[in-house]
Amino acid sequence: METFISNIIRIMSRYGHVFLLEGVAYTLLLSLIAVAGGSVLGALFAFGKRGKIPPLRILINALVEIVRGTPLLLQLYAGVFILPRLIPALNELPDIVSVSVVLIINSAAYVSEVIRSGIQAVDIGQTEAARSLGLSERTTMWNVVLPQAVKNILPALGNEFITVIKETSLASTFYVGDLMTSYLKVRGNTFLTLECLTIVGILYFILTFTLSKLLAAAERRMKHA
Amino acid sequence: MLDICNIYKDFGSLKVLKGVSAHVEKGEVISLIGVSGSGKSTLLRCMNLLETPTFGEVWMEGKLLTQPDPYLHPEIIRASKTFEKLKAAGLADEDAIRKIKKEDLLHEKHGAEGKGYVRLMKEFYAANHLDANLARQKMGMVFQQFNLFNNLSVKDNITLAPVKIGTAKLKQAIREGQKTTETKESIKAAAEKKAMELLARIGLEDKADSFPASLSGGQKQRIAIIRALAMEPDVMLFDEPTSALDPEMVGEVLDLIKELAKSGMTMVVVTHEMGFAREVSDRVLFVDEGYIKEEGTPEEIFRNPKDARLKDFLSKVL
Repeated sequence: METFISNIIRIMSRYGHVFLLEGVAYTLLLSLIAVAGGSVLGALFAFGKRGKIPPLRILINALVEIVRGTPLLLQLYAGVFILPRLIPALNELPDIVSVSVVLIINSAAYVSEVIRSGIQAVDIGQTEAARSLGLSERTTMWNVVLPQAVKNILPALGNEFITVIKETSLASTFYVGDLMTSYLKVRGNTFLTLECLTIVGILYFILTFTLSKLLAAAERRMKHA
Repeated sequence: MLDICNIYKDFGSLKVLKGVSAHVEKGEVISLIGVSGSGKSTLLRCMNLLETPTFGEVWMEGKLLTQPDPYLHPEIIRASKTFEKLKAAGLADEDAIRKIKKEDLLHEKHGAEGKGYVRLMKEFYAANHLDANLARQKMGMVFQQFNLFNNLSVKDNITLAPVKIGTAKLKQAIREGQKTTETKESIKAAAEKKAMELLARIGLEDKADSFPASLSGGQKQRIAIIRALAMEPDVMLFDEPTSALDPEMVGEVLDLIKELAKSGMTMVVVTHEMGFAREVSDRVLFVDEGYIKEEGTPEEIFRNPKDARLKDFLSKVL
């Protein structure tokens, strides 16, 4: 046990920057890109799904179902290996770009469901009251439904962020520099598997735990607003 | 003012309205009574197109709010292919039309009935149609569950529609090059002034900046009523306005509705308050099993009911 702990300390003093400056930074960056891009794209998906263009609706539904119904790892393989074969122009892209794009699309699929259910959770009476006053569908959506839906959506979006932080670990398969990649690197140099895994585990936990506490605080504040 | 012509409404396989016609005169107060599930709320919601009738037409001041219903227009039926087929099979004019109406033979896809039919439908629609949003601006509605906008203060609840619709109209006018002295700000100021006047009328000026969650049911419903009045509607529709209220708050809401009735507002009220229906209505319609089974003055309906189901209903509620 003592050697275990002293090993961890030795690893951190020697390779701390790999875990923190590379690993944590890349993991946060990838998650942020995935959630930000996923939110924008997810919102577009959600509106496309509610929209009046049947082919678009079917396409989005199909995409969302495929993303939700297959493992993220498989989607990453598709983005990094399979798609460039089909479209040679994509060969030039660095892996981290392909990985980011896959993460964005993956996150968008889940976010679109979050937004859809958030909108659906707003009492239909709110819409009916607005429409009964002669307000258009659009005004009703922007001024009555969405402001209320946001309160349902934001907490779920935060959870999505936490999930994405953990899921970026799969990107290490392509050695893109995230926290799990730094684990692979340091283990390669030190041959201390358990110690490295422990460090990475603690770092993931600190990230997600801090975030979930921050979100809980934000949620409490929103309830009063 | 309002004409309901042969309305049918199906929800899937459930037939809620089975051919209802009614006429609402300007200044008239009409009550719809009947057991739960009889279709009275659905009928009310068809009037402002919150529900789209399956068949039938809704007219407001000579303007068609729904799609045209070919079954109401023999001249359109005559242009259909189905009619031609029946004629070719040897049916007389009148018999063919009767058969089509009775058995609902027209194709749902208009194209299948031929070009002449489609053209007549389009012409009729273009000549008579009024956009549902425009119509609703002149038809206030009050709901059982109040449905105040939870995200807006009381004042914003009242001003939202007048401001949004006012500015939209202003933009339209400017686009069309009309001269106007109005500005966005003047519309907003006028709407707020009006909102405060309306709030004063019900004695709730001090609640202008409160949010709906902090109000009692009676206050919410009275605010919902003046929110509808802020649009200066020609007719008000009430959907069981007191059914979700605690008993001690029913009075204040009914008093406001009565006051409104006295001021000459055209109203259609779905209600379970028989005393109220008797007192304020000019006419009472008894809705049952998707039909209007009986209609008449409150005297006729409550003193001298003829329909067996109405007698049964009244014996239970009075």
